Parts: sequence; structure tokens; C-alpha cells
Amino acid sequence: MNPVRAGASHKAFSLDRIAAIASNTLTELTRLKVFYVLLLFACVLIGSSVLMARLSFQQEFQVLKDISLGAMSIFTSLLAIVATARMLPQDTEDRIVYTILAKPVPRFEYLLGKLLGVLLLLAISTLIMSALFLALLYSREHAALAATNRQMAGLPQEQLHAALQSIRDSTFNPDLLPGISVIFLKACLLASLTIFISTFATSQIFTVVVTVFVYFIGHLQGTAREFWLQGHSAGWLARTFLAVVALLFPDLQLFNLADEVVAGAAIPLAIFLKTAALGAFYTVIYLLFATAIFSAKEL
Amino acid sequence: MIEAAVVVTGVTKTFPVPFKRRSVLAVRDLSLRVDAGQVYGLLGPNGSGKSTTLKIILGLVAPTRGKAEIFARDSTEVASREAVGFLPENPYFPKYLTGAETLRFYGKLCGLSSRALTKKIQELLELVGLTSAGDRRLGGYSKGMLQRIGLAQALVNEPRLVVLDEPTAGVDPVGSREIRDLILDLKKRGITVLLSSHLLDQVQEVCDRVGILANGELVSEGAVNELLAVENQTEVVFEAGSEELTRQIEALINTAGGRLIDCRKSRKTLERLFLDVTLK
Amino acid sequence: MKRFLLVLAATLLFGSVKLPAEHALFAARSELRLHGVPMDLSLREQIGQLGFIAALSGFRSLIADFLFIQAHVAWERTEWSRVLLLFRQVTTLQPRGVLFWDMAAWHMGWNASVSVFNDKSQPRLALRIKAQREYWDLARDFLERGIKNNPDQPKLYEALGRLYREKYKDHARASESFAKTAEQPGAPSYAKRFTLYELSYCEGREQEAYERLLQLYNADENERLPTLISRLKLLEEKLNIPLAERIPDRAH
Repeated sequence: MNPVRAGASHKAFSLDRIAAIASNTLTELTRLKVFYVLLLFACVLIGSSVLMARLSFQQEFQVLKDISLGAMSIFTSLLAIVATARMLPQDTEDRIVYTILAKPVPRFEYLLGKLLGVLLLLAISTLIMSALFLALLYSREHAALAATNRQMAGLPQEQLHAALQSIRDSTFNPDLLPGISVIFLKACLLASLTIFISTFATSQIFTVVVTVFVYFIGHLQGTAREFWLQGHSAGWLARTFLAVVALLFPDLQLFNLADEVVAGAAIPLAIFLKTAALGAFYTVIYLLFATAIFSAKEL
Repeated sequence: MIEAAVVVTGVTKTFPVPFKRRSVLAVRDLSLRVDAGQVYGLLGPNGSGKSTTLKIILGLVAPTRGKAEIFARDSTEVASREAVGFLPENPYFPKYLTGAETLRFYGKLCGLSSRALTKKIQELLELVGLTSAGDRRLGGYSKGMLQRIGLAQALVNEPRLVVLDEPTAGVDPVGSREIRDLILDLKKRGITVLLSSHLLDQVQEVCDRVGILANGELVSEGAVNELLAVENQTEVVFEAGSEELTRQIEALINTAGGRLIDCRKSRKTLERLFLDVTLK
Repeated sequence: MKRFLLVLAATLLFGSVKLPAEHALFAARSELRLHGVPMDLSLREQIGQLGFIAALSGFRSLIADFLFIQAHVAWERTEWSRVLLLFRQVTTLQPRGVLFWDMAAWHMGWNASVSVFNDKSQPRLALRIKAQREYWDLARDFLERGIKNNPDQPKLYEALGRLYREKYKDHARASESFAKTAEQPGAPSYAKRFTLYELSYCEGREQEAYERLLQLYNADENERLPTLISRLKLLEEKLNIPLAERIPDRAH
């Protein structure tokens, strides 16, 4: 217990510290039973099958994929916003933030650790939801293949093969994976944005409301931006408004590749990589903004 | 000259009030010095600026004017926190963690390796008397145990300075006695302690030096013994004396030109009574 | 307040950096028709306020599916104008949905058209024929717009070919559509044969049809299917091909 470590050199950046905060955050979120969202997701999947009773298998697969990916998108986004919005206010209220920052922990590391904890949670949730979705898709595919085999028992091999192939084509499509990755990236962006907003927000409710507002505007931003860039709008007031929307908000519509994937469009690698890079860029920028504000914040 | 653990020079802190032109003054032109090895008590009513002063020293709040240093390093530097342990007022550590897990988390933040931590955690649990409770979740801890695990957390990086904000707030007399003993234990180990409190008799017992804050200003400062000594008065306490003896003493005082101010039966404090009764 | 303005300024500054990147990605995706539909007010009128908001917040496909299921119900009740309206909305919301265009055209061209033709409440045959043709045109319109949105999908060209063949009895256009089908990646193997079968029905193009069918016949034994052989034999007769050059009676 002698003060032997005094004067030991301080590391300006430490992955160990960040990892400790991230894993602590993840544990905390897990304890909050946020994974009930996954249960809800499973219910949506099961519930959706009620809708499909009257559809043909191709229609059924399309609807199943749309519902699953749509639910995945809303659930990961909600999870990102709600889980992140409570972090800073909760830590301040519990005075945990004082105990952490009174250790030799730079504020940037604190925020990064917190964000990484949420991103881990989002990654785990996305993986579990994808697994549930793909398992359901696989079992439905098998059921459809078996039914087709039975119905077409007497018909020539070529026709049977074509029918089976068309079922396989309409179920799993490798482009689903980039589609799901982009859904995850959108959630990461939202988590980072939420941290940014919560560094200057006065309450948790304020953070959630503002982020949800940004979420909706973000889906419109693309339309506003293109309208502004093409110089259609006549009045300067309208033009200024469009410009502010275009500059202030992220284009969340760009992170919606899943719709097109389900409809059958192929996603070129370059497009996927650019979208991913944009998502990562946003996530980093918002974290830097958050750090800038949080570093000067009176706790 | 003795090394200074904390030096605060001319610190003023104002908090702006949102949507108003004026701002709130929390601390005004405060200067104080805590020598290494001392136990220093910051006293004052609620809202007098105690917590703000501690936060400025810890770099959690930036002073509007002036500066604070810990072992000659500016408080705004993250590295100055290498030598500090802090226990805030009424912290709520995550309930789902065990005592040992809590200490492990804070140890990692201080850059301790897993192996060094395992040993360190045992040591700390022993120090604060929680060895048997180390594997229990904090959800089942009493208020006093929580304060003690909080203190252990503050000690994980073997700091030379420990800052305690209202360490006995909300703790029962037994618990607060334990914390007091721990503070004295720290002093024995040569660790500087800076604490804030509004419970005066506790401060009196453990602190070498006190500063009294009122409305953000340091209104009085000095060694406890000096501050409390009443000029020109002496107390005499004796056992098994008769009424006659008391009368003789009074007569003696009068002939010597002194004056007897009070003569009463010795009483124990309520706290002493509480401790005697509950600790049996 | 000062900090708020600073944050606002930083966000705007960052906005001017990210704007070109967003625009470039948007442009690249628009080129590949990977960007859904521009949201305009006419769509809002079609799908209502709530649907419009949902569509704006990234649930375009879900709304499309929901309307599609409604269209399915309307079909079961043979409410043809409602089926048409719903499919217009569905295809507007999700123009990359080949299945939607295909189903829309199929309902118009094969179900609605037959239903109105057999509608005994309309006693005048001429009007029934007119109604039937109108639904054929609607089917063709769906397929053509679908193709415009999905130019590399063989399924829609094939559906158009079938519509020309079965409904309009326009063999030249049918042949053209099947030829387009065959050009697309992942086209079914029969698309090439169908192109030539249809060509063989076109007045004045028998020689061309004959040569290309014979080419197919010689190129691949798997192509020697009964229909192909019977078409070839018919053309041999029609074109008076010398006996020696004709294909054998039975394929081995």
C-alpha cells in the first residue's frame, strides 16, 4: 500500500482502458434486458407468417424478407438511440462518471468506450436477428421445396429442376448480407449521433426526441439535397431551408439498401464499400464532435 | 518545506444560468494548500462550494479563474489523476457487479494488469473489511459497505492523495466510525486525505487541518487544535470526587483570582452510547 | 449559447464536406436504379399521410408489401379497379420489385381481361371486347414500365412476350420480346426457342426463321424438342426445301 506508482508515466491512449469501459457498458446494457427487443423481433417474424397464408411462395419470401429486414432496421435503430441516450445522464446521476474521470482516463476514451459498448450490443443483436431470420428463411425454403417436389412428382426432371431452382433463387440471396451490414452501420451512425446530442442535451427525453427527429429528417435529406443542388426552388427562403437541411442532417436513405436487395437488385461491391465508408465516416465525426463538447463540459 | 499535495491558487468559479445574463458564483478567489501526509477537512453548509472546489481540484470542472495543482501537476492534465483516488458523494455503483468486479473495473482504468489486480483486490477488500463480501453483488450491500467499496475503489491505483466528498453521508454511526478508522489508517500509511463534510464533530476527530467555506469563500482556515482552543480557559476532569472536593477547588480558583464558569457531571456523547450499545 | 452556435457551425462545416460524397453516392446509385423512388406529392395523395410518412422513414418496402397483400384480397373479390389502383401504388413504392410488375400485369392481362369479357351484365359484345383490350393494354403498360425500371430482368420481357403471343396474337412483337429475354443474364433456355417459334409465324420472315431454327437444331442435340422439329418441318414444306437438305423424320 505504499505509494510506489507515483510518477509512473501516463499513457495518453490506452486500449485496455477503452476495453474496460466498453465491456462494462455492454454488461450494463445486457442487464437492462435490452435483448427483449430480440424476442419482439422473433414475434414479428412469427406473426408475419399469418399474413402469408394466402400468398404464393415467391410472394411469401419477398414479404418475409421485407418484414424481417424492415423490423431489423427499426429495432437496431431504436436500440441504438434508446440505449445510448440514457448512458451519459445515468452515469452522471449515479456519479459513476466522476469516479471514472477521476482516474487517469481522458474524456475521449470514456466516450469511445461507451460508444464501443453500444456498438458491440448492436453487433450482437444484428447477428442474432440475422440468424433467426436466415433460419426461418431456410426452413420456409425447405418446406417450399418439399411441397414442390410433391406437387410436381410426375413431371419431367427439367421442369422440376427449374421450379426448384426458382424457389432457391427467391429465398437466399448473397446480397442480403451487405444489406444487413448497412442496416448495422446505420444503427452505429445513430448511436454516435445520440452520444453527440446527449453531450449537450439537458435530459434523456430531449436526446431521444431530437435523435428521432433527425432520424425522420435524415430520410428526407436526400430529396431536399438533390432538390437544392438542382436549383429548382425559386424563393431564397426555400433554398436556404433546403440547404440547411442538406448540410445539417445525414442522408439516412443511403443506408437503405435492403429494399432494393429484396426486390432482386444486385449491389455492386463499390457501392457497398462507399456506403460503408460513409457510415463509418459519420460515426467517427459524430464521436469527435461529442468529444469536443464533452471535454469542455462541467460535470 | 513539506511537499504540497494540493495547491489551489486564486480560484473563482461561476456557472452561467441558461437564458439569463447573470451567472451563479460558486467559489470566489479561493486559495488553499494541503501538505502531503495531512488529513484536511473542507467544511461548510450545503451549497457553500465544497463539491465544486473538490471537482476543480480533480479536473472535473474547469475554474473560471485561477488554477489547482496536485503534486505540482495542473489539475486539467489527465496525468495529474495518476496520484489521486476519489470517492464522490453517494455514488451508485452498478448493482449487478460484485465488490471484486467493481474493483477490477477501476483497476483496469488505472492500467493495472489482470495479475497484479487479483492480488491488489484481495488486499483492498481486506483493508476495507469486505473480504467475505467480495463475491457478492453490490445490490445486496449496506450503505456503509457501499461507501467502503467506494473507498477501496479510490485506493486501487495506490494514490498519494485521496479525495472524499461527504464520505459518511447517509451512513449509520457504526459505518461512519469504520470509515473514520480507515481514514486514520490511510494517514498512518502516509496518504494525504482531503475530505468535505458538514458533520463537524467527525471532522474534528480525524482532521489535522480544516478550512471553512461559506458562500464560496474560505472564511476560516487552520490546524484543528488551534482553531478550537478557547483562549484562557482550562477544563479539569476527575473521577470519584466528592461534593466537598468540588467546593474546595472552587474556593481555590477564587483565591487565585480565576473564575469558575461551569461545573457539571461528565456525560458521554450520544454517539459513544450508541456504539457501546450496538457493538456489544 | 455560444457553445450551441459553435456546434451548429461545426456541423454545417462538416455538412459542406460530406455533401459532395453523399451526392456522388446518390448519383452512382441512381444510375444503377438503386435508389427507390423520388418522393413526390402525388404519391402522398395515393398512399395517404400515414403511409407516406412510413415510406419516408425507410419502410417503403413494407408498405409496398402491405398494399400488395391488399391487392391480393381485392383480386379474390374480383374488384378489378381496386386491384389496378393498389398495384400502381405498389409499383411506385418499389419499382425494383420484379415480382410486383409481373403480378400486376398478370392480374390485368390474364384475370381482369377474362373476367370483363365474360361479364354477362354487359350485354354488348363490342363493349366487352373493348374492356378486355383495355386490360391487355394495362398489362402491357405495367410490363413496359417494369422493364424500364429493371432492364436486366428476363422475367418481365418473357411476360411481355407471352402477353403478345397469347393475348394480342402479335407474333412479331412476341418474338422480339422473347429475343430480349434471351439476351438477359439468367434467361431461361427456352427463350431462344420461343423467339424462333414466334418468328416462324410471321408472314414473310419464314426463311430467316428456318435458317436460325436449323442452326439451333444443329448446334445442340438438347434443343431438338418436338415443337422445334414440327416447326422446322412445317417451314421446310412452306419454303420447299429440297428433300436432301431436310432434317430426318425422327430425332435420334
